[in-house]
Order: sequence, then structure tokens, then C-alpha cells
Amino acid sequence: MNKNHVTAAEAFLSNKEGAQWHNETLWGTRVKRDNLAKGIPEWEELRELASKIKMHSITHLDHYLLQFAEAAEKNGATVHWAKDDTEHNDIVLEILRKNNAEKVVKSKSMLTEECHLDDFLIENGIDVIESDLGERILQLLKQPPSHIVMPAIHLKRQIIGELFEEKLNTEKGNSDPTYLTGCMRENLRKEFLSAKVAMTGANFGVAETGDIVVCTNEGNADMGTSQADIHIVSMGIEKVIPNRESLGVFTRLLARSATGQPITSYTSHYCKPRKGGELHIILVDNGRSDILGNKDHLQTLKCIRCGACMNTCPVYRRSGGYSYSYFIPGPIGINLGMLNAPQVYYTNLPACTLCFSCNNVCPVKIDLGNQIYKWRQGLDAIGKANPAKKVLSGGMSFLFNHPGLFHSALKMAPIVNKIPRSLKYNKFNEWGIGRELPEFAPESFTSWWKKNVKR
Amino acid sequence: MDKSLKIGLFIPCYVNAVYPEVGIATYKLLKYFGLNIDYPMNQTCCGQPMANAGFEDKGLATIKKFGEIFKDYDYVVGPSASCVAFVKENHPQILAAHGHACQTEGKIYDVCEFLHDIVKPDNLPGEFPHKVSVHNSCHGVRELNLSSASELNIPMYSKIKDLLSLKKGIEIEEPERVDECCGFGGMFAVEEEAVSCAMGRDKLQNHMNTGAEYITGADSSCLMHMQGIARRDKLPVKFIHAVEILASGL
Amino acid sequence: MNSKEQILNNIRQHNLEQYDMPVIELDAIQFPDKINQFIEVSKAVGGNAVLLKEGEDINQLIAELYPDAKTIASNVPDINSTMDPDSVNNPRELNGVNLGIVEGAFGVAENGTVWIPQHVKERALYFIADSLVILLDKESLVDTMHEAYKRQQFNDYGFGVFISGPSKTADIEQALVKGAHGAKEVTVILK
Repeated sequence: MNKNHVTAAEAFLSNKEGAQWHNETLWGTRVKRDNLAKGIPEWEELRELASKIKMHSITHLDHYLLQFAEAAEKNGATVHWAKDDTEHNDIVLEILRKNNAEKVVKSKSMLTEECHLDDFLIENGIDVIESDLGERILQLLKQPPSHIVMPAIHLKRQIIGELFEEKLNTEKGNSDPTYLTGCMRENLRKEFLSAKVAMTGANFGVAETGDIVVCTNEGNADMGTSQADIHIVSMGIEKVIPNRESLGVFTRLLARSATGQPITSYTSHYCKPRKGGELHIILVDNGRSDILGNKDHLQTLKCIRCGACMNTCPVYRRSGGYSYSYFIPGPIGINLGMLNAPQVYYTNLPACTLCFSCNNVCPVKIDLGNQIYKWRQGLDAIGKANPAKKVLSGGMSFLFNHPGLFHSALKMAPIVNKIPRSLKYNKFNEWGIGRELPEFAPESFTSWWKKNVKR
Repeated sequence: MDKSLKIGLFIPCYVNAVYPEVGIATYKLLKYFGLNIDYPMNQTCCGQPMANAGFEDKGLATIKKFGEIFKDYDYVVGPSASCVAFVKENHPQILAAHGHACQTEGKIYDVCEFLHDIVKPDNLPGEFPHKVSVHNSCHGVRELNLSSASELNIPMYSKIKDLLSLKKGIEIEEPERVDECCGFGGMFAVEEEAVSCAMGRDKLQNHMNTGAEYITGADSSCLMHMQGIARRDKLPVKFIHAVEILASGL
Repeated sequence: MNSKEQILNNIRQHNLEQYDMPVIELDAIQFPDKINQFIEVSKAVGGNAVLLKEGEDINQLIAELYPDAKTIASNVPDINSTMDPDSVNNPRELNGVNLGIVEGAFGVAENGTVWIPQHVKERALYFIADSLVILLDKESLVDTMHEAYKRQQFNDYGFGVFISGPSKTADIEQALVKGAHGAKEVTVILK
């Protein structure tokens, strides 16, 4: 089922209260980011450095991946290479089978969403427990995340309260966030303590030393991995960075951009396996190496998945993550979706006014808006151009290439003002649904010039 | 500034048809400063509406024509940050992709930009004793640097406010979410109508919360979109392009 | 060709414009009073940081801060505790610890975070205790993460973590709640 952003956004906005809350809350996160950014005089320099470090890393990707694998293996980790999502999932299942594990506790990883890992494991009889509060709520509701950092932002506490009543036997009618979080803490702690295998994503993989760096506020990645014997890391190949010194730049940018806090509560560095345990690192390609050959869209590989672009995007804030058909929404999601399958995800392309706010908040300076503009140019070639827009553009082109015709049109335009309302405002007039049409001036500028200035 | 330099007036298609007073104000103001202005009459459009919708190729002929029309002028000045930004940022690479040079490179200016950076007036005639709320349009801010983008940690500045403050009697305000998009976005306004109007209504409310009588800015397209909403919602706020304020009394 | 080779070949086949690694040198923010900055930011992020006064007994201070803690786990010499966390056979046994008292290597003034390279048998202690006290030499504070990553203590570790304040979440309607999974309260004692 291919979701259409236009109609989905309309539906989202029909819940006026919910839409307003969504918009204001995400704008609030943008403001928190701004406040912290303005407290660091060298903020713009940091962004520039981060962008340069990432451009260097991705254009030397083979070198750094090899260096990373070697360092990690020297540390005692096992490094796997997965060319696509299927291979990634198979590797995870194999590790679980080898260790007779029937359950896995997971912390948040958009990469595992991308690979549809949870469904795959469940089909194969594995119990999957998401441990990030937002992700756990969505798992129980059987809903996908609507934001990559604040996945349950679209849910009201009452819904969550009712869910917990059903699944966790919490107090009836109690939707206090502190109470509910406390109940989930207790519930998930039992899972942490009994899990043999814990999975995490990776915010960064350090080539020089083999560190895996995971940033969380909840501490769920660490609760899981400090108890389980087996730690599996799913890491996109673009997450590798050259050295620990680079982390100084990224750890100053990530949380400030993502949630408007100076740093996450936990910034964990996994180097060697736990004593008596195993550390498995799965390096996943799944189309990333192909992106390297796409000059116009190469910069998407710099992304550190902070979500700042979503928080600032005026369209995302007013349409919500579920209006986008790709699992990652907002400006970065529009671009990643097109890289994944343009024939499928082109329906997200209208969701942008080209305001370029996303470019300015991106901590690694991805040219998000410019890339959306470029994707639009390529739509006609793949047969996905909006026919109405195409006709309109063709018509405009014709008019503008014939100045004489254009001037005649200018002279006649004011007549449109006098057309009866019922003829002007109807279902064919999209502009007129929510606005009045502009009025054509009785005398165009060209006419005025001819009359008053031209010698 | 060398007043003998030839300035070609660039009057965007919709300004020509809907807001000619903006073009007239531009002409009168530049004339007031003793500048050498001409309006090449066979200009039509800069190509932005087609290109932003994904049809750069349909705009190519218009874009080429634009360069030919303005090639002999020292400056090209137009009262539309959005259109000027499009010419500045996009014409060179669209033309280059088809093996053409860009004739307007380095000489195209939005009128506010031109006045602030080149003409540098230290006073303005007439008065405008009204409270205005400045609309910082996206392309003006983030492509033409007419004011400091709120996302960036850079020293704050606003060329439009600097110019407006020269006008006797004026009271200048800015809305909260000072440079959030109004939702026009060219064809976005009709394709994503629901979001466009939601954005427009929010922006309009932020402007009105300043208590301003007028909403002003460098882009008539944004103003046109918000004006459409204000008229539909029967709101009393008025709209005026910044250059009209600067030229008022002439 | 195995997957590793396939991936590497796929990467190498592109004729990429190469970008150099930048020199990471910048005039980063410096705080005239690092201790004060650290204390302020700790508060702001929901944590707590206190300066051990001259002549003050650290065990007394901890007892005053956590009078209700019954099970106190610490392997730090001269610190009062009810159990040695290194005596456990598996990390599950640490569940139920009310207060963990651990050592930090250094702290960062810009964000109130403390670097803790694993000094205990089971790293679970850092996360499973209801509350955490982190002992830190006040002279060890650095201004920013740049210096943090330069520090010598950083060199060899099997596991290390920067902890800044308590565990938290805002996943329910953006309402901030402390103690999602890790410590509900964290106090850094600067000595």
C-alpha cells in the first residue's frame, strides 16, 4: 500500500488539537537545540568539522572498515559483513541458534527497523523485547515509530495508560508518565536479567580502536549488554569514523541537535567482550555502498540519525511521521526513501517547501533541501511526475516563452476577478479551498511602464 | 556607488500581474537615488515555478532568455528575494548543464539587498507611521542572507529592518518563530493545500500577535499566500512589500 | 567472493573525489570556573554534584545524601559499603543494590558528564543500582569533549561509559521522567 503524503497529511491535520500539540512539541525541541547551539561560540565550526570528518570517512570507507574490523577483532570481537538486510537477519538468527537463545533484548536501532529484523525473528520463534520505552510501547501497540529519536511522539498518555493496563496490569485510569515509566522499568528489568542475548545499534564505530559507541538516555543498551553473555551490534557501514578524537566533535553535536541536551545520560564505549561473553559486530551495507556512486546524494551517508531535520521541518511538524511512506520521515527520510526505491517513495517528494531550514540544523551539513529539489527534477524521467504539475509547467513555459502572449494575458487577467464566485471556487480550485484568490491588477506593471515611462 | 551603471529592472511574472505597485515603488525609489534604470519589456519569468515543481527542462528556454535580456546591464535588480535567489542559485548550474554560460552571474540583486549593500542610503523620504511585522521569507534569509537565519549561531543582522528603520514614524516588529516558512512554496501551495494553509494560518497568527497593522517583507509570493488566508478568515491585517514602505511618499 | 569482499569491491569501484581529514583544532569554549560550571550543568540535566568540603568526611556525606540506602555496593577503598560488588558470580546478583559508589576518571564541565572506565568486575553496577554516587577528583575536570578524548586515561579499556546525570526518558508525551532503566539519582562528589 503506497501512502500518499498529501492525503495522509490532510488526515493528520483534521485532528486539530493533536496536530497543534505535535507541531508545538517538536518546535520546542528545535528551540532547545537553538539555545544550546547559541551557547557554544564555536558551534558552526563544529558543524563544519563534523561534515569534513564524515566526507573524509565515507570517501575512504574501505580503508576505515578494514581498519575497524582489524582493531575490533584484536579486541576479541567477532566481525560479520552483511551485504543486505536478509544477510544481516540471517547472521543474527544464526548467533541466537548457536547459543540456544530463544529471546533477545534490543535497544533502539533504526538499522534493524530497516532490515525488518523484529518480524523476521518472531517468525522464527524468537521472542524480541524492545527495551527503549518508546519502542516498547510501539511494539505492544504493533505500530511503527513516527520519529527516529522520539518514536512515540504521536501518542497521548491516555492511550499508553490503557495499553499498560492491558499488558502490564497497571492501575486503571492512571496515565501519569512517572507511574507508567516506573511500571515499565520493573517489567523490563525482569527481561534484562533473564536475557542471554542483547542487541544494540551503533552511533559510531571507531576505526583506530574498534570501539562501538552507543548513546542513550535510558541506559537500556547498557542494562541489556551488562547482563547478557552475547552482545550483537548492528552497524551501518557509514557509521565508521577514523579515530577517538573525532568523537570529541560528534558527541558535542549529537544530543544538542537531537533533543536539545548537552549530552545523553549514557555514552557507552564497547571495546572488548564481557569476560566470558561474546561481542558480535555486524557491518551492514544494504545499499549504502551504492550511494557512494551517486554524486548528487552522496552526502546522505554523513547522517548521524539525530532527527534535527524533522524537528525543524514545518511540513513534518504538521503532518507527522505516519504521513511519510518510508520508515524514516522528514527531510532525511524523503532522501533516503528515494535512494532506496524511487518508484515507491516518490510520493513523499511534495512534502517540502524548499525552505532549507533542515540544511541549517543538520549537524553534519547535509544539503537536504537541495537534494529534494534534485529528486524532483528526476521524477519525469522515471515516469512519476505529477501530470497536473507537468501540464501546468508546460503551459507556463509556453506562456513565458512568448512575451507577446504573456502581455496579452496580463491585459486580460483582470477579467478573472469578475468571474462569479461559484465558478472560481470549486473542487478544481485547490488554492481556493482555504484561501481567497489573489486579484489581478487592473493595470499590469508592463502597461504602466508603457504608459508612464517608456520613451 | 557609480550612478552611471545601468540597472535592469527584473519584475517577476506574478508581481507584474498582481502587484504592479511593488514594481512601481521599486522604480520610483531607485530613480529617487538618481540611478540609471531601464525595464526590458520582453522579460516574463525567471523559471522558478516550473523548476521547483521538478521541470527545470521546461524552464530552460525561459532561463536562457532571461540571461539574454539582461546581459548588457551592470546590475539586475528585482523586488522578489525568492525569484532573485532562484536566478542566483540555480540559473548557473541549469545553464551549465546545457552548455550555456550564465549572463547574470555576480550582478543580480533583490532590491532590499541592493539598497542595503550597494546604494547604502542613510535616510529615506516621507514617513510611514505604522507598526509593521517583518516577514523573513525563507529564500531571502537562507539563500540571499537578507537576515541571520535563526538556526545558525552567527551574529544577528537584518538588512530589511536596517532599511525600514530609516523611515520616519515606523514601528518594527518581528513574529515569534521569526523565519519559519509561511507555507507558500510555489506549487506546494496547491499540491499540499492542507499543510500549506495550516502553515499560513500559523504564520499569520504569529504576525498578528505582534499587534502590527501591516505585514511586510521582500517576497510578494509569501504575502500573497498569507493575504489569501487573511481575506478568507476576514482578518483586518494589511499587507505591503518592504520596497513600498521605503518608497512611500514618493 | 564472500560478503566482505563484495562490499569492499562495491565501495572501491566508485571513482570518488577524495576528501581529506580535517585537522581538529579549534578555539573551544573554556570555563573560568570549571567546578562551578560542572555543578550547574549537573543540576540542569537532572543530576547532582557536590563539593566535598575541607575536612568533611566523605562517608558521612554519602550517608547524609542517601540515608535510606540499605544495600550499598562499592569496591572503592575506604568507602563504607554493605557489599563488595566484585564478589558476585553473575551480574544478576547486583539487582536490588540501592546505592552504588564508583570512581570516575575525569569530568567534563560543558555537559556534566563523567568518564568511568570499568573498574568493577561487572559493569552492570553502573546501571542497575537505584542510585549512583560517582567519586571524582575536582582537579580532573576538563572544559569540553575534545579534551576528554585526548585524556591519557582513555587509552586502554574493555568498556567505559560517560555518565551524565540519571537515566531518563521523555517518551510519554515529552514528560521528563528519571530512572527509566538506570539510576534514578546520580550524585557526583567532587573531592
